[in-house]
Amino acid sequence: MRENHLGFPSYISLILRAVRCDHCANDVPDGVFCTRCGAHQGKTAEPAAAKARVNRYAAHPAEHVVQPSIFTTLFPHLGHTKIHEFRWAFAVGLAGILVLYIAGLITAAILVAIFLVPVLYLIYLYEAQVYRDEPAIVLGFTIGGGAVIGIVVTVIERIVYNPYQGIGNPLHGAGIGVGALLFLGLLVPVVQEVLKPLPALFLPNRADFPETVDGLVFGIAAGLGFSVAESLVAFSSALTSLPAHLTPGNWIYDLTTLAVFQPLLQGSATGMVVAAVWRYRRGRLASREIGGVAVAVIAHVAFALGTQLFKDAQLSPLFVLVWQAVVVGAVLIYVRYLLHHALLEEAAHMGFAETVCPNCHMHIVASGFCPNCGGALTAAPAALKRARKPRAEAPTKART
Amino acid sequence: MALACPRCGTQNPDGNLYCQACGAPLAAAAAAPPAMAGPPPGTPPPGPPAGLPPPAAGPTGYQSPYYAPTGPEVQVHRTPWTLIIAGVVALLVLMAGCGTALAIIGNRNPSNTSGGGIADLPSPTPAGGTPSPVASPTATPLGATTDSNDGVTVKVPAGWTVASKDNESIILTDPNSEGSVTLASGPSSPTQTAQQNKDTIDGYFKSKYPDTRNCAGSTTSNGTFNGAPGISWTLCFTLTSGANSIQAAASLFVGANSSGNVYYIVMLVTRQDNLQNYLTESKPVLQSVHWKLS
Repeated sequence: MRENHLGFPSYISLILRAVRCDHCANDVPDGVFCTRCGAHQGKTAEPAAAKARVNRYAAHPAEHVVQPSIFTTLFPHLGHTKIHEFRWAFAVGLAGILVLYIAGLITAAILVAIFLVPVLYLIYLYEAQVYRDEPAIVLGFTIGGGAVIGIVVTVIERIVYNPYQGIGNPLHGAGIGVGALLFLGLLVPVVQEVLKPLPALFLPNRADFPETVDGLVFGIAAGLGFSVAESLVAFSSALTSLPAHLTPGNWIYDLTTLAVFQPLLQGSATGMVVAAVWRYRRGRLASREIGGVAVAVIAHVAFALGTQLFKDAQLSPLFVLVWQAVVVGAVLIYVRYLLHHALLEEAAHMGFAETVCPNCHMHIVASGFCPNCGGALTAAPAALKRARKPRAEAPTKART
Repeated sequence: MALACPRCGTQNPDGNLYCQACGAPLAAAAAAPPAMAGPPPGTPPPGPPAGLPPPAAGPTGYQSPYYAPTGPEVQVHRTPWTLIIAGVVALLVLMAGCGTALAIIGNRNPSNTSGGGIADLPSPTPAGGTPSPVASPTATPLGATTDSNDGVTVKVPAGWTVASKDNESIILTDPNSEGSVTLASGPSSPTQTAQQNKDTIDGYFKSKYPDTRNCAGSTTSNGTFNGAPGISWTLCFTLTSGANSIQAAASLFVGANSSGNVYYIVMLVTRQDNLQNYLTESKPVLQSVHWKLS
């Protein structure tokens, strides 16, 4: 078949005109976004820094980078439609926890809260096939390894820390000593942030997953495995001794932390540390990556320390939840910032191929970015990556 | 002017022909200048040459202007939405069942919280007696030391440790870390009766621990503790702290002097099923308490 100057069958030349990108100067197929560098090609409604495109998050261009969205951050392979399905599933899970809470079935509510986000993540991993052909090794090392470390760390923490002495003098609200505060709010979070990423970092086949988005997902999986184990060990006594039915009281606050903020913090912090190490392995260690590790540790310390302090100060439990939400939101934003720049850099090195955009589902010929929505194609599910049909390189002559 | 997608509602920048979120054609895009879009406006996507199969429509039925695929359609998603929701519902049902079963099995042995409280242990005197915050004379256990602060003096038996101490309170833990004994006394400002102090303590526990309640079978009674008049009662709650979540019981005594400007607290915390044993184990400590303020 005769090919045009883009290397595609001749009939495609009718719809694939070549233009020169204003930002990277590469000749690329005509589109709203440059398929090489991801920059917006329009002249309106776009800031001057089109290449940085902070208002178009690389994994989901309809969102700003500075937006604490849970699913588009921690589930980056999901397209626009699928994201909504996962959001609905999460909402159903939270509604279920609320029903169990109102019914006074606190033991059941605790269990659902502990497993909700990790189960959703397992479904996501299956959907995106991030593990490609090696689910046992990847899932075993990340989720399983995280869980084992979680059990060991939490059991040791229980042995070392005596919770009875933390009640203090109830007439003066002095809930906890400085030593216990430093142990629970500083030492434990730092140790956890050192140990949690290990399963993902020592994944035997890590060389098969060179992209930062892979590292992020593996780190999140390890963090969620840790979170499940930590919560199960911590609540083991309550799970085995609470009455089947009891007055709900203010359990809803602890349940919210267990179902939402705890797994999101553990997952996103670990994901960010692993993503930063993944970037280092690609020779991309810069202040952004170092900042990622620092933010993960600081956020975890702030989460634990703040929670402990506010509880001891007898502030409203709602205030504690707001604090946890603020910390988790900040971590999510930094994860997006790190991933956004990683995707922009790494997608720029992809070759031309026929494929389907995972975000807008448009059939496209592209290298690193969808010319229609600007989504980074490195964040495509494994099935889509496999189905890419490589084509010849960029045109030699642009349309003027 | 932003263009709203008729399918998903996403606001798209001016000039987009197709929604950046879902790929649906934008109705107003036909009027936009064609410079930034792939195909010329109004130009139908070309079909394949003779001999090739017709291009497959996308999942939503529209035809990509960027490329007409010739091969078998790529499967974009693996998991139907029904399966995702079903997974969460299955989790709910499974965990609700497991949780209920765990709770039933775990509660076959009732907790051992009924019976006497703190005030029953030393040398309780009936309510209405003359307050005389003077410790009952007790023998010092072998190897014990004495610790004190501005409000209280207490014997620390061998193996017990002072976990923390300030001007008003001393917290002791037993050799096996099965619980703690808190002793506190200090000035009350403004003045508080024993009942008001009790209400404050109940509020403290309820705000800090999710399910604080009076333990089943326990009673609230007036009396004295080593000379201090007050109230004793027992609270049950789930103690969540660090990696611990324990079904705990607190046997409490709180008192006030006659003018209400001094408070007295004795608080013993341990597992619910261990409360009576712990009261017995703590007896030497409790009997040695000497209130300094009256």
